[in-house]
Amino acid sequence: MSIEALGVTKKFGQFTALDNVDLEIPSGELVALLGPSGSGKTTLLRIIAGLEFADSGTIRFDGRDISDRTVRERQVGFVFQHYALFRHMTVFENIAFGLRVRPREHRPSREKIRAKVQELLKLIQLENLAQRYPSQLSGGQRQRVALARALAVEPSVLLLDEPFGALDAKVRQELRRWLRQLHDEIHITSLFVTHDQEEALELANRVVVMDHGRIEQVGAPDEVYNHPATPFVYNFLGNVNLFHGRVDGGKTYIHERETGHLVYVRPHLLDIARLPNGGDHFRARIKHINAAGPLVKVEAVTDWGALVHVEMPQDRFSTLHLLKDESVFVIPRDLKVFKVHEAER
Amino acid sequence: MARTITLRTTSRSAATSVAQGATLESPWVRWTLTSIAIVFLGLFLFMPLAVVFVSAFGKGIAAYFASFREPDALAAIRLTLLAAGIAVPMNLVFGVAAAWAIAKFEFIGKSLLITLIDLPFSVSPVVSGLVYVLIFGLQGLLGPWLRAHDIKIIFAVPGIVLATIFVTFPFVARELIPLIQAQGNDEEEAALTLGASGWQTFFRVTLPNVKWGLVYGVIICNARAMGEFGAVSVVSGHIRGLTNTMPLHIEILYNEYQFVPAFAVASLLALLALLTLVVKSVVEWKSQQDLKEPEEDWSVEPA
Repeated sequence: MSIEALGVTKKFGQFTALDNVDLEIPSGELVALLGPSGSGKTTLLRIIAGLEFADSGTIRFDGRDISDRTVRERQVGFVFQHYALFRHMTVFENIAFGLRVRPREHRPSREKIRAKVQELLKLIQLENLAQRYPSQLSGGQRQRVALARALAVEPSVLLLDEPFGALDAKVRQELRRWLRQLHDEIHITSLFVTHDQEEALELANRVVVMDHGRIEQVGAPDEVYNHPATPFVYNFLGNVNLFHGRVDGGKTYIHERETGHLVYVRPHLLDIARLPNGGDHFRARIKHINAAGPLVKVEAVTDWGALVHVEMPQDRFSTLHLLKDESVFVIPRDLKVFKVHEAER
Repeated sequence: MARTITLRTTSRSAATSVAQGATLESPWVRWTLTSIAIVFLGLFLFMPLAVVFVSAFGKGIAAYFASFREPDALAAIRLTLLAAGIAVPMNLVFGVAAAWAIAKFEFIGKSLLITLIDLPFSVSPVVSGLVYVLIFGLQGLLGPWLRAHDIKIIFAVPGIVLATIFVTFPFVARELIPLIQAQGNDEEEAALTLGASGWQTFFRVTLPNVKWGLVYGVIICNARAMGEFGAVSVVSGHIRGLTNTMPLHIEILYNEYQFVPAFAVASLLALLALLTLVVKSVVEWKSQQDLKEPEEDWSVEPA
């Protein structure tokens, strides 16, 4: 089922959580709503779910206006950041809940409910924990139960609010992969909220980057990462070096002072050399080297005192044999220029 | 920081291993405080309770049970049960509704409602009784109208029930408000997204989560309803066999120097108090159990 938001605005008192947001999510996609806290991403998700109502604007499922429908009528699957499992019910009862509360004429028989719950328990690989209570499960297990519970009612869309936010890094990785697989199997239109850019880029087909209640960019992960539409997106989707600059006759010059343009360069798009290569470069002195991890992180100070972060593969680092306090040339391979007023918007 | 403090105190008083950390007091302070508390409780709580039972059985078991065969005593017990039987369910419904509204919603007049719930705690029961007399009494605000329609509230059973409801008003609500607030909205929202109606959400999710608090509120409410003296005394009129509750009956007997019957009926209220304490302990233990995670891994096959 496709989801559309048209001109959605929501205010909480003086605070504008969503400012005239338009968004279209085609059926069957796995979409990430990415943004810092306070960007309005959770509010948008809750408005789509019907847990919150917009001040103005329309929500459509498959082209039908459902703005006035209650959460109950919308039949969405919702997964909460802190699981929100019913603590007085077993795993089995939690998953069966959505089926058991149906009006009598739509309620499946006991056997059907049992079969459905078993099927979902198998899907989340927790078949032998059916009689446990939520307090007896680990965080990752709880979140899988929450997902199974949401899927039990066969929702038209699946909405996840920071689904991995409360889990530790390793479990988060596993669950991400698992959710990806699950989505490949059941193709339910899914929308998840996250503030973790890595998670959004890894998991989603499409990423919606939000800031200050507005959508900054929508696109495939590689698109938003490699071709960020705004300085905010560039900044938010990874580490960045920021320089003042000037564009003159198709050439970009890096300056010490403000000159009308801002130059963004990702650390891994900078290279270091001992000799100028005849192309673009600037001088810097190496201040700190961190060689732990797959990438070596080098901190250098430019002639005019700005700090530059450079990342390079281990083998490049070992060929170079860089030393602390050494004077080197920094060579940008790619950069992105925004006008200052654009960046300050 | 905490570790260094622990190290220091354990080396200073290695002999005592009961208390630990920065809050450790020297033994004589602890013993003195404990003894003061025990002596105080013994003198002012345990001894009076013992006296009730000793006096009640002062002339033997036969005399004790004879006290309850008295028609006036039976009527008093019956009236007390009736008043509590009406007041407790009403305050249960009211308390749950008010706690739900206060904990879940923001509305105009919310703080006023909270204040009103606390009012019976802060007003002397005698005053609340008098207020009812001033409203429903013969010379009161509604007096002429009530007389015209032949409705008797003051110096009759309805007045006693009303006064009991008033003084036991806060117990259930007060117990539930912090509990429901602490639960948050997540589970209810989850239930709604799963298609549950408002009532289903309330009965299947909200209520089970606060059930022990509710039980506790109800037994405390009941204890107070049965033991209330001041407000009921004002509105009752002390008509023997008709408008006397157990506490009023006890007072009358005592004033007539009928010590054994007085203490015999009093012992019933004392037993009720003890029962309340037992139920309270069980409830607390149960809710602890609900929160605790069991030690062993009980991988039960799915049913």
